[in-house]
Amino acid sequence: MRLIARFALEKKEKFEIIDVFDKEIKRTQIDKKTPFIKSIAHKYPAAIWMERKIKDEFGIDFEGCFDKRPAVKHERFPKDIYPLRKDFNKQEIDFCEFKPYSYEEIKGEGIFTVPVGPIHAGIIEPGHFHFSQAGEEILHLEVRHFYKYRGLEKMVEGKNPFEIQKIISRISGNESIAYQKAFFDILAKASCVEIPENLKRKQAILLEIERIIHHLTDLGFIPNDAGFAPALAFMSKLSEEARRVFYKLTGHRFAFDALKEEIFIDNKLLDEFLPYLKKEVEFFKNWINDIPSLWDRMDTTGCLSRKKALKYGVVGVAARASGIAIDVRDDDFYKNYGFKMQLGVKGEVADRFKLRIEEIFNSIEMINNLKTQENENFALGEIKDGEYMSFTESSIGELFMYLKIMEGKVERFFVRDPSFVNWQAFHTTIYKDIIADFPLINKSFDLSYAGNDL
Amino acid sequence: MLRFWKKRIKTGVITENLEFDRGLEEIKKEIKDKIKRYFAGSLAIRMVDSGSCNACEAECNALSNPYYDLQRLGIHFVASPRHADVLLLSGVMTFNMYHHVWDAYNQMPSPKWVITLGDCPYNLSVFEKTYAIKGVDLPVDFHIPGCPPNPENIIKGFLEFLKGFEK
Ligand code: SF4
Repeated sequence: MRLIARFALEKKEKFEIIDVFDKEIKRTQIDKKTPFIKSIAHKYPAAIWMERKIKDEFGIDFEGCFDKRPAVKHERFPKDIYPLRKDFNKQEIDFCEFKPYSYEEIKGEGIFTVPVGPIHAGIIEPGHFHFSQAGEEILHLEVRHFYKYRGLEKMVEGKNPFEIQKIISRISGNESIAYQKAFFDILAKASCVEIPENLKRKQAILLEIERIIHHLTDLGFIPNDAGFAPALAFMSKLSEEARRVFYKLTGHRFAFDALKEEIFIDNKLLDEFLPYLKKEVEFFKNWINDIPSLWDRMDTTGCLSRKKALKYGVVGVAARASGIAIDVRDDDFYKNYGFKMQLGVKGEVADRFKLRIEEIFNSIEMINNLKTQENENFALGEIKDGEYMSFTESSIGELFMYLKIMEGKVERFFVRDPSFVNWQAFHTTIYKDIIADFPLINKSFDLSYAGNDL
Repeated sequence: MLRFWKKRIKTGVITENLEFDRGLEEIKKEIKDKIKRYFAGSLAIRMVDSGSCNACEAECNALSNPYYDLQRLGIHFVASPRHADVLLLSGVMTFNMYHHVWDAYNQMPSPKWVITLGDCPYNLSVFEKTYAIKGVDLPVDFHIPGCPPNPENIIKGFLEFLKGFEK
């Protein structure tokens, strides 16, 4: 079984822990006075951060867990408050005395640490990478996150679900449509209506364009991090062009707030742009294929083994590049419009690079099939109380969203961004490489920090 | 590689003469003087994300694509705050980033300026205050609005900021 998420919520009398697996959902009620539950991190290592987060936010202890350090509560965060409990309603907390975080480090003669971040040299999001080095060789890496922790899950509590759509749009800029789609599916379920086929098709088109833009950007940055700048010039030009198309289609360069009950898509624009895009990406593929020094860097680098990927429950591009056939789009709807599972072999930087190219081709083909002139009348109805879940394949991977509505208001909102599991497997990929390969490997995964930290 | 150069020559220079380039033409000399006088010939910017959704960063990265090619204006992004004239700040300033952002600011040599990028650091955009958000309390000199501001508006913002030195 694959662990998708482990999260907590507070009920009147009890806390509840929900374990979402790919084949079943387990619920455990736990006592509020001395809240504790057995850790599952030994079997499912991706549960480590999930449990640490629950401990920080709810004060629930995990029996038998081997990592008791805080996750979202950084050095100056008050330890005795549990912000996701219902009795916590402060909007302002004060800094506490600095308590150092004990990093995973390897000690020994000649071994030194290289702390990188949270603020990085380039224009990227903040996060901390803690290397233990023997010369250039990496002995260990700890990835530490939650610098961008905005408390979004709490922020939306108590609001009408329709009120929070703008926030959902802006949780992770590169995955905006995916988040909107996940939320839209939940709203549709909560109002007991089926999303009509044509609207679904248009939503899928926007989701594929978002994916294309994300892939194009990475295809430029990956070679750039291996020192091959022309690829970045080429691809940043193309991704800018794609973003402008996105703007023309949705009125926003990142399609924020674009997933409405009625969507208009200018098919003519797509007919002009997609053949051009395809030609350009084909050119790029042939051109890059002929540059052996680049493949020297990308081959054998940053290997995520199939075994580790399965163990951590890795999803999305990262999983597929390691040969694991997992994609939310692997269903009748998408297959009907031409979805083909793309798979890599070895899980190296090169596999993720090639996979992105092939996924762009597949996305173009799907968009061509998804195009439609038709429109149905559709409106989301009145929201019914209850618990709802949805899955969407963002440009990074499987996005899981949970919403509990009580008396028409958000009682609990939970998201597991694909990055949240993938980040935890990240450190397994660098042991055969030198520290200079790190930016390249990091870019080949291109995980979200904002979505991870929320 | 030959194939690439063939294509490169065929494509030519695509950097756009955006409408403000005309305006730029007019103030170019002044800006150059200002940049020369105040910024030793080039304006060095250190971008720091204090809790954004990453779209503001994506638009800053887009500034370097061939359509905008920001460097032609003498404005460039630097890797260290110690090399920077301007701190460009995005995001809502989370509790967990607060001290790191101030650290970066304190590392900058004076004179120094702070520009906020996007609605997040200015008014939290669509977000609301939570326990995990501190808000910005750096001495802000200039604000570039938008959610996110597109690359063209970011460049316009930089120019407006520079114009402030004319007074
Ligand atoms: S201002 Fe808007 S685009 Fe920029 S980080 Fe904030 S939410 Fe994202």
